[in-house]
Amino acid sequence: MNTTAITEVLGFAREPGWLPWAVQYFFLIGISTMAFFLSLPGLLWQRAGWQDLARHALLAALVCGLAAPVALLADLHQPGRFLNFYLHTNFGSWMGWGAYFIPLYVVGLLAYTWSVLRANRAGLVFAALVAGVGAVLVLVYTGMETMIVAARPLWHSFLIPVFFAATALAGAFGMTAMFEALAGRREAKVLNGGLHFSQWAVLLVIAAWLVMALGGAAPYREALATIHGGWVAAWIWFIVSVAVTLWLARGASLLIPALFALHGAWLARWLVFMGGQSVPKLGSTHTAQTLSLTPDSLLGIIGTAGLCLFIYIVLTSLVRWDDSAHA
Amino acid sequence: MNAHPDLSRRAFLGRLPVVTAGLAVPVAAVAETKGPHWAMLVDTRRCIACQACTIGCAVENALPEGDFRTVVATYAVRTPEGQTGLSVLPRLCNHCEEPPCIPVCPVGATYKRADGVVLVNGDRCVGCAYCVQACPYDARFINHKTGKADKCTFCSHRIETGLLPACVETCVGGARIFGDINDPETEISKRLKAAEGRTRVLKPEAGTQPRVFYIGLEDQLAGRVAGASATEMMWRPSHTGA
Repeated sequence: MNTTAITEVLGFAREPGWLPWAVQYFFLIGISTMAFFLSLPGLLWQRAGWQDLARHALLAALVCGLAAPVALLADLHQPGRFLNFYLHTNFGSWMGWGAYFIPLYVVGLLAYTWSVLRANRAGLVFAALVAGVGAVLVLVYTGMETMIVAARPLWHSFLIPVFFAATALAGAFGMTAMFEALAGRREAKVLNGGLHFSQWAVLLVIAAWLVMALGGAAPYREALATIHGGWVAAWIWFIVSVAVTLWLARGASLLIPALFALHGAWLARWLVFMGGQSVPKLGSTHTAQTLSLTPDSLLGIIGTAGLCLFIYIVLTSLVRWDDSAHA
Repeated sequence: MNAHPDLSRRAFLGRLPVVTAGLAVPVAAVAETKGPHWAMLVDTRRCIACQACTIGCAVENALPEGDFRTVVATYAVRTPEGQTGLSVLPRLCNHCEEPPCIPVCPVGATYKRADGVVLVNGDRCVGCAYCVQACPYDARFINHKTGKADKCTFCSHRIETGLLPACVETCVGGARIFGDINDPETEISKRLKAAEGRTRVLKPEAGTQPRVFYIGLEDQLAGRVAGASATEMMWRPSHTGA
């Protein structure tokens, strides 16, 4: 039948399987791994110019790295069964591998922190190696487990892991800069330079994605066509916010560009996960994404932020993170 | 257990009747020993969108309010001549030969039985919803009551006792034909053969080889539909999560 118009008069939309908890997890674990890498020049290699910020980068890695697994566990609809990840591992699944990469990274990060605080040089090198391998594996698995989902055109791109990494790097610079600003530091050259680099990388990835989509590559073209309604405005705002971050990072201010970078890193994941899941795989009914005051929605987002704040308060109460003499 | 075959004369003579009986069995009977491979044929021309299957499935499988394993998506289609007609797409798990939901499951909870039915081991499922993402047909969901991945099972508990799936049993128009496609004498095998070249599956480009076939399915309804959605008339989830 040669049709001119189809209206779905009775159908249904599946609600998102991955809840806002997943956005929180990918946001936090990405920032944590990248902040860990930011701490290496100052703490491991003793590079001049990086030593002041290194301890706050480590603090950012810890705050996010300890909160992230909680968010991930909350995203499971059967969190009490998490042991099944280890009792019945399917090594053909990226998520199955992730269950081993996360503890490897977190344990490595804790050992690295311990070595830094105890000034144990031999232990530091080994712990940095373990945490570094864990961080790379976490970045790879989080990107790959999203990328291989062919049923969601927006996710099914080799650019997704790169996009996650670039926005995570921006978020890591942002969170480190925020902690520096909260500690009363004013030196913004390295951090704002890093923000510049990471935000340009984000823009480059988006440009490459658009070139593929407008060039007619199948999943990209389909993904572009399915971005609808308010999600179009949200994507545009994301790109504008990246540009604003770039502009703000030109100056000497630490806090404002840092907050914009964090906002961008979070929004990127919200757009990919919640926006991607709003598109129907069959039919034409989109999932209406609304935030409500429930644990699976707004309370979860606020709760994760509260957990981060709690960890920050505990860690900064126990350790002097702005003591660069011990960096 | 000894891996070497027993080559004694006594053993040979003992097995001789088995060999000769095997040679005497007709080819069709040999095919039967493969066991059934369950599939469904949906004749959309017979579907009147009454949703009896939707309700029958929900009742049979005790689904929580708002969760569906099958539903008949209904479309108003307007032709260039200005005529408006009704088109339907009964939707359910396609029990694919190459199910993308199986390899992604981190705990191996999703599996495919020898009879072709794709099932979820509820004791193992952690509710991570990775299979929900991987399914190209939106056939899976997280059951609000159990917190586990849920989907059509072809009513495996019924077919194991010789009954038809609830949606087939309740279909007033006889639009759903269920049976064993390994057996050429079943209704579904005969119908599939009669409609050869005119049957379709959803999203064939996904390479999943669905075992739910359609007759009379319009091209533009076989995947994501570029059309309007009468959202105000539709059910929407009032809550999220388990």
